Amino acid sequence: MSIQITSDLQENIRNFEELFSDCEDIKKRKIKVGQHLSQECYIAYIEVTLSSVDFKDSAVGKLLGKLRTMPEQELAAYVKNNIEDISDSQPFPTIEEAAEGMLTGDVLFFLDGYNKALKIPDKGYPGRGVYETESEKVIRGSNEGFSESIKLNTALIRKRLRSPHVKVKESFAGRRTNTNVDLVYLKDLIHPGMLEEIEKRLGEFEIDGTLDSGIIEQLTERRKYSPFPQFQTTQRPDRAAMAILEGRIVLLSDNSPVALILPATYNTFIQTSDDYYSRWEIASFTRALRYLASFLAMVFPGLYLAITNFHTQILPTDLLLSLAAARQGVPFPAMVEVVLMEIAFELLREAGVRLPGANGNTIGIVGGLIIGQAAVDANIVSPIVVIVVALTALCSFAVPNEEFATAFRILKFVFIFLCGSLGFFGFLTGLLAVLIHLSHLESFGIPYLAPFVGADLNGYQDERDTFLRLPLNYLKKRPVYTREGARTRLRLNKEKEKK
Amino acid sequence: MFADNWKISLRQIRRLFIMDIFGMSSLMLPGILSSMSGADGIFCLILGMAGGALLLCLMGANLRYIEKDFYSYMKETAGQLLGDIFMVFYFLYFVTLCGYVLYELTALVLTWLLPDGSWLGISLILLLLGMYGSARGIEGRARVYEIIFWFLGIPLLIMLALAVSDVKTAYFTPLVASDLASFSQGSLAVLIFLLPLTALMFLKPFCRKPEKLVSCGKMAMVVVIILNIVIYLILLGVFGRNTMGILSRPVITLMGMVNLPGGFFTRQDVLMTAVWFFALFALLNTGIFQGTLVLKELCQMTRNRFSLWVVAVIVLLIGKGFFEYSFLTEVFEIYQIWVALPGMFLILLLLLFLHWMKAERKIQKGGTGGCGN
Repeated sequence: MSIQITSDLQENIRNFEELFSDCEDIKKRKIKVGQHLSQECYIAYIEVTLSSVDFKDSAVGKLLGKLRTMPEQELAAYVKNNIEDISDSQPFPTIEEAAEGMLTGDVLFFLDGYNKALKIPDKGYPGRGVYETESEKVIRGSNEGFSESIKLNTALIRKRLRSPHVKVKESFAGRRTNTNVDLVYLKDLIHPGMLEEIEKRLGEFEIDGTLDSGIIEQLTERRKYSPFPQFQTTQRPDRAAMAILEGRIVLLSDNSPVALILPATYNTFIQTSDDYYSRWEIASFTRALRYLASFLAMVFPGLYLAITNFHTQILPTDLLLSLAAARQGVPFPAMVEVVLMEIAFELLREAGVRLPGANGNTIGIVGGLIIGQAAVDANIVSPIVVIVVALTALCSFAVPNEEFATAFRILKFVFIFLCGSLGFFGFLTGLLAVLIHLSHLESFGIPYLAPFVGADLNGYQDERDTFLRLPLNYLKKRPVYTREGARTRLRLNKEKEKK
Repeated sequence: MFADNWKISLRQIRRLFIMDIFGMSSLMLPGILSSMSGADGIFCLILGMAGGALLLCLMGANLRYIEKDFYSYMKETAGQLLGDIFMVFYFLYFVTLCGYVLYELTALVLTWLLPDGSWLGISLILLLLGMYGSARGIEGRARVYEIIFWFLGIPLLIMLALAVSDVKTAYFTPLVASDLASFSQGSLAVLIFLLPLTALMFLKPFCRKPEKLVSCGKMAMVVVIILNIVIYLILLGVFGRNTMGILSRPVITLMGMVNLPGGFFTRQDVLMTAVWFFALFALLNTGIFQGTLVLKELCQMTRNRFSLWVVAVIVLLIGKGFFEYSFLTEVFEIYQIWVALPGMFLILLLLLFLHWMKAERKIQKGGTGGCGN
């Protein structure tokens, strides 16, 4: 049952303070206003969100200054009639709504004789500001990254897409966190039904708190047991803007520097921003390299086991002999050796991530060089396994999306087990199982393997931006996620003149 | 939402059928044809293709009249009883084929990849994978083969190109030396390997452009026959008629003999087995999918799950039968020659005839009605 705000300020204060009792971080102040300072108003705010009540620059300060110059009997009418003049202010009829408004980081203003509470924006919650991204580094292109403030993040996208067609649909998730969730999209490009689908999924759950976009991601994806992520994530505003230009939807969650992009495919996870900023030759080369890396990150240790344990006839005798010599004295079977090294590597990786910056680097050196060398010297592992594990790690680092790379890291262990026990047959069955799984997987109705499959839906145009990124002149059409009839991305002036 | 999971593109169908027919035919036909007709096997392949084209023409003629699906068409045209009998015929064809492919695939794995493996273990893994592939409809299956088509095709073409240098043209003679009986037997064998094309009849509801189904089938058949001709010529030129006749899988043996430039890999047969592994698995998957579909429609079930398990168990038993009792392979050959092959043609011809009769009767009735009015 909501409590209505009345014209009686004392009653409103009582109700409000009852709601926020024992909340020392919430500052509540009664301030005298009017020419003779005989009428009271009441402001409430979270301690750090207001710069200063008396600051002439702030909206609250200006309002209070104005109210001190006016006759008392005109105050309520003035506030009521001039709400729109106060920047981004919003009136609330109930105490609960007003409280929610204040918790978004704004100042709440009550006035005696006025039966609403006003939400007036000021400094807001503290945030990091715009910083360089930690992941998704690029050689060419912007280095700006998303921060924890959703407002800042939407502004960073808006800065790049200055079109009135860019829409930001706001909703809230989390019963207790009341987290802002924004869906950013280009209205004339998104596929009909896609927005409704994500809104439907957002409405399918009620949770006490969503502290990061990752929680929303897990609650809205359909194939929960798949190791492959069904949302693309990015911390780069330019990547998000690029996705929006392709008719995809970007989901931003307050307090999270990670934006979710939907729909996502294998191909989109392999793409990076600078694929489009660099010349096509180098973009294609690195793209093909990343595809290869994603494959090898999953199968390389397994293939090593299959060939060395089961099908040695493939390798030339010299190589085979040097492999055997390298393994001489190692007490473990090859599979145990590989699993040990892989686990050691994953431990190093985890330790490196958890430790603060400089220490993290030290862990890499200590683990990679010293322990690795010591393990080889002590005949616990063979040098070739160290090479295999290191190459696999390199491959997983080359996959540009962390969540996507994690899927391959997990599957790598499945392949180690399959190939270690069934040889090349294990490799083939594993590969087939992953392929079947990926072919069944969809992200918001788009096949995960698009455009390698179902490319006919867009006249086989999307295949121009897969293993190879053809010159931009050839990428005239937007991908299949865009609504039909709005897929022209590039029109050369020569063609225009011809028409 | 946007991808229609039950509709597949023509490219997917084409690639799926190429894989379906290529696997078994390239593995087995060279040995069969060389022992039957030597160098004349090439002509058997061409004549077999002509038979396949005839079958596709009959399928095309029937496909024009299919409005909903093949089963409904059979029931409408031939009546409930005959429709059911025809469906049982197709069910038997697909499950026996599937069982045989399971046996062949397992044998391939046991011979080339895992000689110490257990038959049951390998079969179960393959069958479970096949069920997983078929469980979510045809689209998933089609996507797998659309994506791996060139990954398998390019290495195969490279290996075949490298093998050309070892070909001795003297082995191509004598040409046109076979008698009519072995010549026609060879052609029939080729035609039997093209029979999985009949699965096209069931694909109309699943295809985005059903009017082009038959041309897709023709394209798949032509590609496979050309590939088989190339493989046959290379095998004949490398091994000669007599050696080829005694090798169980001459094409894989050939892969092991080809020397890659640079000489890093010494034997590629294990790696190249992947081509036939995936191709045979495609046919296994097709058999499971078609068998499940036919059984589901025959028993008027709403979901796939039960029919999928029934088909899987039958396929496993048939596969086990082939593995345990070698005489069953001969029975299967007899079944293919005397039941499956004529049955496929007869059903399609009968359906066309009955449809024509019905149409004639309708015209006559319409005509009489018109005069009366």
